[in-house]
Amino acid sequence: MAEKDVILEFLASKSAVKSKFYFKDFSDLFPEKGPREVKKVLTQLVKDEVLEFWSSGSTTMYGLKGAGKQSHTEGED
Amino acid sequence: MAFISSGYRPEKPMEGRISDIGPHKYDSYFPPVIAENFGKWLYHEILEPGVLMHVAEGGAKVYTVRVAGTRTMSITHIREVCDIADKYCNGFVRWTTRSNIEFMTDSEETLAALKADLATRKFDGGSFKFPLGGTGAGVSNMIHTQGWVHCHTPATDASGPVKCVMDAVFDDFQNMRLPAPVRISLACCINMCGAVHCSDIGVVGIHRKPPMIDHEWADQLCEIPLAVAACPTAAVRPTKVEHDGKKVNTIAVKADRCMYCGNCYTMCPAMPIADAEGDGVIIMVGGKVSNRISKPKFSKVVVGYIPNEPPRWPSLTKTIKHILDVYATDAQKYERLGDWAERIGWQAFFEKTGLQFTHHLIDDFRDPAYYTWRQSTQFTF
Amino acid sequence: MAKHATPMLDELEKGPWPSFVSDIKQEAAHRAANPNGLDYQIPAEAPEDLLGVLELSYEEKETHWKHGGIVGVFGYGGGVIGRYCDQPEKFPGVAHFHTVRVAQPAGKYYSTKFLRDLCDLWDLRGSGITNMHGSTGDIVLLGTQTPQLEELFYELTHKMNVDLGGSGSNLRTPAACLGQSRCEYACYNTQDMCYQLTMDYQDELHRPAFPYKFKFKFDGCPNGCVCAMARSDFAVVGTWKDDIKIDQEQVKAYAAGELKPNAGAHAGRDWGKFDLQAEVVDRCPGHCMKWDGAKLSIDTKHCVRCMHCINTMPRALHIGDERGASILVGAKAPVVDGAQMGSLLIPFIDCSAPYDDVKEVIEKIWDWWMEEGKNRERVGETMKRLSFQKLLEVTDTEAAPYHIVQPRTNPYIFFKEEEVPGGWERDIKQFRERHQR
Repeated sequence: MAEKDVILEFLASKSAVKSKFYFKDFSDLFPEKGPREVKKVLTQLVKDEVLEFWSSGSTTMYGLKGAGKQSHTEGED
Repeated sequence: MAFISSGYRPEKPMEGRISDIGPHKYDSYFPPVIAENFGKWLYHEILEPGVLMHVAEGGAKVYTVRVAGTRTMSITHIREVCDIADKYCNGFVRWTTRSNIEFMTDSEETLAALKADLATRKFDGGSFKFPLGGTGAGVSNMIHTQGWVHCHTPATDASGPVKCVMDAVFDDFQNMRLPAPVRISLACCINMCGAVHCSDIGVVGIHRKPPMIDHEWADQLCEIPLAVAACPTAAVRPTKVEHDGKKVNTIAVKADRCMYCGNCYTMCPAMPIADAEGDGVIIMVGGKVSNRISKPKFSKVVVGYIPNEPPRWPSLTKTIKHILDVYATDAQKYERLGDWAERIGWQAFFEKTGLQFTHHLIDDFRDPAYYTWRQSTQFTF
Repeated sequence: MAKHATPMLDELEKGPWPSFVSDIKQEAAHRAANPNGLDYQIPAEAPEDLLGVLELSYEEKETHWKHGGIVGVFGYGGGVIGRYCDQPEKFPGVAHFHTVRVAQPAGKYYSTKFLRDLCDLWDLRGSGITNMHGSTGDIVLLGTQTPQLEELFYELTHKMNVDLGGSGSNLRTPAACLGQSRCEYACYNTQDMCYQLTMDYQDELHRPAFPYKFKFKFDGCPNGCVCAMARSDFAVVGTWKDDIKIDQEQVKAYAAGELKPNAGAHAGRDWGKFDLQAEVVDRCPGHCMKWDGAKLSIDTKHCVRCMHCINTMPRALHIGDERGASILVGAKAPVVDGAQMGSLLIPFIDCSAPYDDVKEVIEKIWDWWMEEGKNRERVGETMKRLSFQKLLEVTDTEAAPYHIVQPRTNPYIFFKEEEVPGGWERDIKQFRERHQR
């Protein structure tokens, strides 16, 4: 399976519970790959408008674009 | 309002996009005397509070006028800074780490004119726009955080208490009578995005009540697992409660584990933490960052709670002014506030300052606490 | 006429210290007058409503801001902090009020041209309120709405040639003291190292892949004006190895009271005649100085480079010529387990451009922390959890007494198997030949 699909499948499997994940949650999906390689995949998915960032200000998470509860309550969608 | 496009096309975000270009290079905006003498400075002297003279190997001199800036600043004010810099400093100006503004010139005449000009500038409300000071063995500008002006987890305001404290110690901003420099800082909650933990005097906003939980809205506003994961002490857990006859998914907080950091509120707007009665500030003293004489050290809590008293925070300012005055009277030359407290001992610190010692001041948070208890029979009666 | 009555905030216009309330009021007046006829892209009353919501907080003693998850511009994972007002109907001008961090030049020297351009941009597309500067060092533009974020970024990058700063689990905007630009104590070019590393690590600054935030700060000497060793995960603090340079004639001039000691820093009080023995020699933490009334000598072997003597007699004493920096790792503010100061890792490192030696250490630490760090764990906490020895190992640094204040007081040494002759696999049968059951 392509790396992109592994990530999307992971996100789909968790979608009932949460929509945002730390970088580490993704690097754990690819134990044989270093963090820098995983970062490249995620960066491309952001560029392709599949994923987007979410930040608490001090930390950052990744999620599917438009997913989650908070973006609706902020009236930004 | 008609939307004015910069040229950006939202449907093609990557088209012509410029990214990763970083800041401007540091030497783009050096005044000529700085550019010419880079790396050749020989010595400096504080000519008077707020005025520095640096002398280079070849004899070149630059005079620096340091004035207070407020961290929260309007563009009208910045434009006035620019007017001054254009008139006296060839269009250059710099800011310091502690939010002071520095005007530089290589001419003594310009220095005199600049000082005279700055002294006349006041806000309509009466305060100085550009008071000189913040040099040598005095109080420099306070670094601080956002507070009620812009933050979602503050336990106090920042700009307001800073204004009040600096009004109270203004003489020491403009004088150099203290035994050593005194750095005062304020962080509006324990997360300390302003990192005040090594200040001579640090003011820290604290909450004293765990977050409330809006059960009706928790599951609609929040992703509960994210709120759970955000808690640094594992005090937050998912739960279900009866609300209006319905079972709803929500959150529970174990109150005695909560350290009131507000991280859960960041992730979940259904867990507000602000509370007028619960919130307030503590005072920490004796930290330093410089390696001069003694090693860098952390500030210690000497006042466990002062309520928020807007608009002028009288108890806070009075206490800080008092600590400063006792220190100024009792410390030896070169002793930072923490060096003084350590030389006389913390027992004597509380005696001399008259600050009330309470059990809140004894560390009980995890491992480091033990090392702060007295393991000795050496103490005074 | 002000939109909201602000009797409590008005109290903050009194007193000598510059009043941020007066300042926001003058911005409100500026926007109401709109002298340049701008078509304001966010509500003109933003400063008015900022005062209004702040007055409400002063009455109620509670904040009225909510966090928002907006992160940055397209492709960036930092640089913008989302903020919403929880009373948007009362204060529509600040209902959406996001912060934009703009990268500052190292040392914070500006031209008025740059500042005026920035003010013009923020006049049109933001509230007109800023922070000069945020705690980490960025220029902070305080308060705009989501549709303006990309427009601001486009104008910043296309017209002003400047980028956003960092936020979130990124490399944060690095900061430096003013260094050699105007300080005789600077042991290396702090601004250049800050600039070069910022440029080299743009990807780490804009696209988060760290367990948590990571800060670089660059101090030119042990006086520590940007507080690197208290505030940054990776602190580079200037130092030197050889003798402090002494100009004996100037020393005598200080001793005779002809020069102002401490560069005049104590001029606000009569501390009596300068006493070189008591004020300098006796206070030296290395006890390495001698003054015989005519000659000052320093035993370099015992000098800990605390800067006191140099600070006290800046015309007589100067930093040595064999210059570089010490690297201290792992400082952070208290949350959660308490504040940490940077711990000394590398006592002396070459600081000449292009800073490959420094970058090598940084990258080794990142590789380790990105693998081993837990979510929301600063590198200082990873060090505490996995040991200082582990940090030494991943950075190929040999343990030495300068790494510690004292050796361990417990006997629980974790030996590696290869450190013990014969390893850990032993033959129980052979043992039983010597010992009964």
